[in-house]
Amino acid sequence: MITFDNVTKRYPGSHEAISSISFSIEQGEMVYVTGHSGAGKSTLLKLMAAIERPTSGTVLINNQNVSKLKEATLPYVRRKFGLVFQDHKLLYDRNCYHNVALPLAINGITGTEAGKRIRAALDKVGLLDKEKAMPITLSGGEQQRLAIARAVVSRPSILIADEPTGNLDRNYAENIMTLFAAFQQVGVTVIVATHDALGNANYQNKVLHLNQGKLTNVETSA
Amino acid sequence: MSAWGYSWFSQHKQALELVLRRFKSNRLNTLLICLAIGVTLALPSILYAVLDSVNGLANNVKTESQVSIFLATNNSEDTIASIKAALEKNEAIKNFKFVSKQDALAKLQAADANNEVLDSLENNPLPDAFFVEPNKLDADSITSLQAELRQLEGVDEVVVDGAWLKRLNYLVQLGKEAMLIITSLLAFALVAVIGNTIRMQILTQQAEIELSRLIGATKSFIRRPFLYAGGLYGLIGGLFALLITVVVIYLFNLSIAPIAAEYESNFLLNTPSASTCVTICLLSFLLGLLSAYFAVSKSLLHATK
Repeated sequence: MITFDNVTKRYPGSHEAISSISFSIEQGEMVYVTGHSGAGKSTLLKLMAAIERPTSGTVLINNQNVSKLKEATLPYVRRKFGLVFQDHKLLYDRNCYHNVALPLAINGITGTEAGKRIRAALDKVGLLDKEKAMPITLSGGEQQRLAIARAVVSRPSILIADEPTGNLDRNYAENIMTLFAAFQQVGVTVIVATHDALGNANYQNKVLHLNQGKLTNVETSA
Repeated sequence: MSAWGYSWFSQHKQALELVLRRFKSNRLNTLLICLAIGVTLALPSILYAVLDSVNGLANNVKTESQVSIFLATNNSEDTIASIKAALEKNEAIKNFKFVSKQDALAKLQAADANNEVLDSLENNPLPDAFFVEPNKLDADSITSLQAELRQLEGVDEVVVDGAWLKRLNYLVQLGKEAMLIITSLLAFALVAVIGNTIRMQILTQQAEIELSRLIGATKSFIRRPFLYAGGLYGLIGGLFALLITVVVIYLFNLSIAPIAAEYESNFLLNTPSASTCVTICLLSFLLGLLSAYFAVSKSLLHATK
C-alpha cells in the first residue's frame, strides 16, 4: 500500500529530516510512528500523504511513484488519505457540521448524501449532538474527535494521525486510540505518530521508531 | 446529464453558493465594495450618455448644413453658366440652388425690413449666389469642397454655414478621446479595488485554503469561489453604475428641459440603450473576473507546495 525505498528528505537550508528510510505498510495495518519530537515523524507522515516529495529515494502509494506524479494529479492522490493534523487545523469560522463537510465538498459530494455521511462521521466520534456547535466551544478532546470525523468522512482507505493524543489526558487519549482501532478493524490502514507508546501493547501493531531522521527499529508487537 | 457534466455543474453551484453565503454574512462590506465599483463605472457611463446625446444633436443639425457660394458682382451670364456646369459635374454635391441678385433683393424687400434703406440704393449691392448641399457632411470633405469651389472663376466667397457645428464636432471628438482615457484609468482603478478585496479575502481564508490543499483540493477548486466573487462584484457594481447613471440623467434632464425649451429644442440626454446596459454589465463582470484571477493566481503561487 505504502512503500518507502531509501527515502531521504532534506528541507532547504536544513539538515536531513529523514535519511535513507525503507519500509512498507500493508492494507489494514495499524502502524505507530514513534520517536522524540524533531525525530522526523511529521516529515515521514507528510511524505506518506503525498504532501511532501522526497529529496531522493522513492515513495510508492498504491504503486504510484509520488516523485513522478504531475503536480496536477497530487490532489487526487491526497484524497485517498484521511489526515488528522497535530494542530487540528479546524476552521473556527464555521460550525462542526461544515468543518466535516469540507473534504466532501472537495470530492464534489454535497446535498443529502453529504449530510448523511457527515452525521455518520460525527456519530462515530460521539459528536452528533454538537453538529451546530462552533469548534471553539468544544473541549480539547472533542476538537480532536471533530478532526478525526473530518478525516474519515470521505471514507479514506488510509488514516494518518499526527500526535492525535498529544495534549489530551489519559482517558481522552485511550478513547481516541480505541476509535482508531475500530477503524482498523473495518479494514482502514491506520498510521499514528506518537511520542509516547501509549496503548500499543493492546493491539497487533507495527512500530516505526525514528531517531534523528533514521529508522532505528521496525517491530511488530504482539 | 452525464456524470461529468453533473459534477461540473455541482462544483460550480457549490462555489456560487459559498460565495453568496460569504456575501450574505458580510453584507455591509459587499455593498460598499459594489457601490465603489458602481460609482467608478457610473462616471464614464454618464460621460458616454452626454457625448452620445450631443453627437446625436450634431448629426441632426448637420443635414441642414450647406455651402454658400457668393459670386463677384460683375459676372456675365456665361460665367454663371460655367459655374453651374462645374457644380453639376462635381460629385461631392448633392444638389444646389441658384439665387440671382434680383431674386435676393426681392426676397429682402418682401421681408420688409429697412425698405427705406433699400429704396435709397441706386443699384443692387447683392451678389448672385449658389446654395449647395454637399453629399458628405464631415468636416474634412466640407473643407476640401470649400477649397475646390473657391478655385472656380468668378467666385468671390465660399461660406460654410455652421462653422460652430464643425467646432462642436471637434469637441465631441475630443470628449470621446477624453472618455477613452478616463475609462481606461478607471478600469485600472477597478482592477486594483477588486484585486485588493479578493486578496484580503484570500488572507482571511488562508487557513481554509491551506487545509484544502493538504486534503486534496485542486487549484481550480480553491480558485473558483474567488473568481465568482470577483465576477459578482463586477456584475453588481455594473448594475449599481447603471442605476446611478439613469438617476443622474433623469435629474439632469429635469433641469435641462426648461433650458432646451428656451432654444425651442427638445434636447434631452438619452438614457442608456439596452445594448449599452448589457455592455456595461458584461465589461464590469469581465473586469471583476480578470482582477480576481490575477489576485488569486498570485496568492496561490505563494501557497503552492
